[in-house]
Amino acid sequence: MAFNDKSGGPWGSGSGSKNGGSGNNNNPWGGGSNQNNNPDFDEIMNSLRKRFGKFYPSGPSGNRFILLIVFIIFVIWLLSGFYSVGTQEQGIVLRFGDYSRTTQPGLHYHLPSPIERVLLPRVTSVNRIDIGFRALDGNSNARRDVSSESKMITGDENIVDIDFRVMWKISMAENFLFNLQDPEETVKVAAESVMRGIIGQIKIESALTDAKELIQSQARSKLQELVDEYGAGIEIRDVQLLSVNPPSEEVIDAFNDVQRARQERDKLINEAEAFFNDVVPRARGESAQLVAQAEAYSEEIVNRAKGDASRFNDIYKSYLSSKDVTVKRIYLETFEEILGNVNKVIIDTEVSQSGVLPFLPLPELNNKNRSISSGGN
Amino acid sequence: MSRLNIILLIIIAAIAATASSALFIVNETQQALVIQFGEPKRTVDQPGLKFKLPFIQDVIFFEKRVLSFIPDEGEEAILKDQKRLKVDTYARFKIVDPLRFYQSVRNEIEARKQLDTIVDSALREELGLRGLKEILSEQRNSITKNIRDQVNIKARTLGMEIIDVQIRRADYPEVTSQAIFARMISERERIAREFRATGEEEAQKIRASAEKQRVVTVADGARQSQEIRGAGDAEAIRIYAESFGQDPEFFSFYRSMEAYKKSFNQDDTMVINPTGDFFKFFELPSN
Repeated sequence: MAFNDKSGGPWGSGSGSKNGGSGNNNNPWGGGSNQNNNPDFDEIMNSLRKRFGKFYPSGPSGNRFILLIVFIIFVIWLLSGFYSVGTQEQGIVLRFGDYSRTTQPGLHYHLPSPIERVLLPRVTSVNRIDIGFRALDGNSNARRDVSSESKMITGDENIVDIDFRVMWKISMAENFLFNLQDPEETVKVAAESVMRGIIGQIKIESALTDAKELIQSQARSKLQELVDEYGAGIEIRDVQLLSVNPPSEEVIDAFNDVQRARQERDKLINEAEAFFNDVVPRARGESAQLVAQAEAYSEEIVNRAKGDASRFNDIYKSYLSSKDVTVKRIYLETFEEILGNVNKVIIDTEVSQSGVLPFLPLPELNNKNRSISSGGN
Repeated sequence: MSRLNIILLIIIAAIAATASSALFIVNETQQALVIQFGEPKRTVDQPGLKFKLPFIQDVIFFEKRVLSFIPDEGEEAILKDQKRLKVDTYARFKIVDPLRFYQSVRNEIEARKQLDTIVDSALREELGLRGLKEILSEQRNSITKNIRDQVNIKARTLGMEIIDVQIRRADYPEVTSQAIFARMISERERIAREFRATGEEEAQKIRASAEKQRVVTVADGARQSQEIRGAGDAEAIRIYAESFGQDPEFFSFYRSMEAYKKSFNQDDTMVINPTGDFFKFFELPSN
């Protein structure tokens, strides 16, 4: 508790101590780093008195000796004002508690205590706050869950378990030291508040899947806004979501089952699409085949017609030159060809007219009988 | 000489003692109240080296920085929609009036105790007017502002100013969280079923569409095929008609001849009456 009730505080109220207060390590103001450990004034006086008493009889030489000692002590006191600022630090110099100046790394001098003193906050180091879990033995893989911190209500009134980490550093040393009593704790509770605010407006589905980037960047900027509002002198470097899970084992199983169901759905659809991709091209092929066949048929029949027509035209042309002879010639040639080849039974008209019925063993004639009237044209 | 020295030392010591009692340092992070025999005289809010009357006045220091107030335990509140919620808050406050602060609560420990009850009652009152949806939504900010304003009314009388009150955590109480888990599980089951069913649905749709497309495609091919054949036939007929139409009489003669040639095979047997033109000269012409 840095609150100072009556007197006795490290800041030397009226209690007579001139020791500028270097004790009280719990107080960030205690600053073990200030190097003004000059002895207590009363002690000096006492020792002086003792020495004075002891050496008094020796007269003026004793006086001179005392003055020498006083002078040496004074010099030591003056020298105690040197201090060095480490590379990770900044020096904040206070004169009688009032902010005076900020110094950068290197060797510096301030008026010795209790007039001035220096605070050396580490401004470049990045600090880490874990929320929702505690790292065990500094090994970030071994974690102990703190469920009261990590369970949050989502926008659709579900619960989600979130572990996250805030990285911050001091951006304005004066603000950091002078504005908030407990900046680190403030960052932590503010981060919790901000994260819950964001999760409260997000559905669990997206919190678990695709909204992580969004949550991180929103949390970072909102937290920065909040600490800026507080004048904390803190820069939020990063907010990292380490794990986002459903709240308990059974619920995790249910969520996993949804994932499986989704996979199954995709599998069924893929299979159906495979079927589609198998069937439709084949059908197109079949269709194309039908068309091609028809085209071939069409070409064929047209060409044949053209050929036939052309042949007929040629013959017709020659027929025109001598009609009778050509007809006769074709007729005779045709029958010559036909009758030259087939088996023939010739029955004279006169015989049939005479009343005699000729015996005609048709089955013997190769079982294939055709009668034809030679009546011609 | 020696006596003089001693007197000198005593005077120095007396001055030192007086000075140390008359001077005090107020740090950047502090403010102070000067009191005289228990009676507050003035407040000092600027840092630096300050004076007071030695020995008879005393100084009490107060924090000037912003203080956090973080209750250990969350409060279980009943919302407007009868839902129970365990709410953790944190508040940040400043001691703005050290005199009043000193008179009413004296120190920070007591101040925090007072704040605890003030924040608690303001929180319950405000949450009783709100539903869970509102607490989760953007309206959270207006809720916390209302709580802050409520708390401020009382805090000011204690010399404090509340800078903000934030809802740090808002959780379901342990009892209800089991019910919520069960609800979440059933909800997931519903979604899983839906996924599986829609999978079947989609798959069937795709298969049906594949079948349909196949039939349509083939039928379309068949139609085109008939059209093409028809066009071919028509073209052939036209060509034949154009050519043969020049002399139908001759065509039928010629075509008949062709047909005869094709119709009779070697094995066929013909019974012929030797009349007609072919047999015209079977007998010697009479004249």
